[in-house]
Amino acid sequence: MRFFLELALSGLAVGAVYGLVAMGFAVIYKATGLVNFAQGELTMIIAYIAWTIQTNLTGNVAVVTVGALGAALLLGLAIERVVMRPMLGEPVFATVMVTIALAVILRSSINFIWDAYPHGLDLGVGRSVVRAGAVGIRTGQIAVVATLLAMLAGFTLFFRYSRFGIAMRAVAADDRTALLMGVSTGRVHAAAWAASAVISGIAGIFFAVSYDLSPTMFQLGLKSFPATILGGLDAVIGSGLGGVIIGVAENLAGGYLGSGTKEVAGFVLIIVILMVRPFGLFGQRDIERV
Amino acid sequence: MIAAGLPSRGQPVPSAAPAPLLEFRNVRVVYDKAIEAVRDVSLSVPERGVVALLGSNGAGKSTLLKAMSGLLYTEEGVLEGGSIRFRGAEIQALAPDELVRSGIVQVPEGRRVFAALTVDENLAMGGFTKSGSSARAKLERVFELFPRLAERRGQVAGYMSGGEQQMLAIGRALMSEPVVLALDEPSLGLAPLVIDRIYGVIARLRDEFGLTVLLVEQNAQRALDVADHGYILENGRVVLDGPADRLAGNEDVREFYLGVSREGEKSLRDVKHYKRRKRWLS
Repeated sequence: MRFFLELALSGLAVGAVYGLVAMGFAVIYKATGLVNFAQGELTMIIAYIAWTIQTNLTGNVAVVTVGALGAALLLGLAIERVVMRPMLGEPVFATVMVTIALAVILRSSINFIWDAYPHGLDLGVGRSVVRAGAVGIRTGQIAVVATLLAMLAGFTLFFRYSRFGIAMRAVAADDRTALLMGVSTGRVHAAAWAASAVISGIAGIFFAVSYDLSPTMFQLGLKSFPATILGGLDAVIGSGLGGVIIGVAENLAGGYLGSGTKEVAGFVLIIVILMVRPFGLFGQRDIERV
Repeated sequence: MIAAGLPSRGQPVPSAAPAPLLEFRNVRVVYDKAIEAVRDVSLSVPERGVVALLGSNGAGKSTLLKAMSGLLYTEEGVLEGGSIRFRGAEIQALAPDELVRSGIVQVPEGRRVFAALTVDENLAMGGFTKSGSSARAKLERVFELFPRLAERRGQVAGYMSGGEQQMLAIGRALMSEPVVLALDEPSLGLAPLVIDRIYGVIARLRDEFGLTVLLVEQNAQRALDVADHGYILENGRVVLDGPADRLAGNEDVREFYLGVSREGEKSLRDVKHYKRRKRWLS
């Protein structure tokens, strides 16, 4: 039982990181109808920016977080404005290729700007262990799960009640008619990219604090994309939950079936679930537009 | 310089009538740099008037509305000549949201309600450009016009009937407090009783709300009943225009658009055959 709980809890924590990145995918897909294949790279860059602030300026957790997330916001806006907006109206295939190119560029920029060695992001928090009965869990892991829950709640309220949230759903459903309502789709796209970069940035910082920073961190995107598919590409909330499901499944498989199965467990789960619900657990539409 | 009182060809002749609220002047629209959808079309819509724009499929009616709403670019369309004026100022270069803000709003063809959103959320989107504080009064007006919507506020729009969706689409447009409301085929695919109700509302919009209405229709009978003035578009050109009652009495209009022929009932096949041979005014 204790073994199970420990596996499940640490799975929950890593799943929360996947969930946050997956929400980043879903926010962009929902607003623009595009899969951003640079999501994992975006996550990694923000973590590196946090590390740069920590090593060069201050290790104060608030300063590092605000600084890195501010940079994420700007990076998201910049990518939308410089790279994605000129592609507006071009075929989806071409636009998705642009995000793949962006992924490669961002990935390599780690080696140009920083280096290829792993680093620890030490903000002085998140590494102490809390004991609950027989199982121990790190405070950073608790925090990432709490953050995911807060994000899920926040996005639920945002999409349900805020004007801009409803507008994002309207743009996703029928962008031309949304234009007729006076919704500026450009502004919605920009907001989606900014929000997505910030959510990914949060995931990146948590991941770097709990584990380590390295040029292979972009693989978080590869792990989280299935979570988005699982939850439903257009379902922001569902994607967050999809991340948790994959994280837990992965950990349990690794613990009980041998560590070799850890990498594939999530994907096996996805194949099974997509056979039953091809648009994801919480998705609304068919995902033909990809 | 052109001598005063001698307008050049193609220029609208100045008249004693007050300047129209909305005006299309010699508009030419080309899609994909190749297909000329609208050629040299001039229309004027006076304040508080109801103007009907009639014509068959592909005549260019919807293209004109897209030009008016700034949506041509979404279909690779370009306004290559002429201008569109609202209160005397050229508006063809404005973005869609700026046009909505200035009071030019359209109810698109096929209703296009946001299917996954509720009635309330659809209406909220209609009022996107307006502040939230005035929303309640506007909602009440919409519900007064369409009591049916009030009963279905929480319902997802995609599951409503065609008539209800048309009501929602009109109500949604009203939420932005339009000055000019353009309706693209509001009777499309609806039952006669429902069409009656929609047209009843269109008349009220002018009489009680003081709106200016540009009505695009294939259903010429209905449109000419409510309109003051009508234009008939064919192959991207205006082939006939005039006061609505005179158009409704015009022999050719009666034959082609109202299905009434000179010698009693004729089969539709004859009408179509005749139409192929005859060209209007050219």
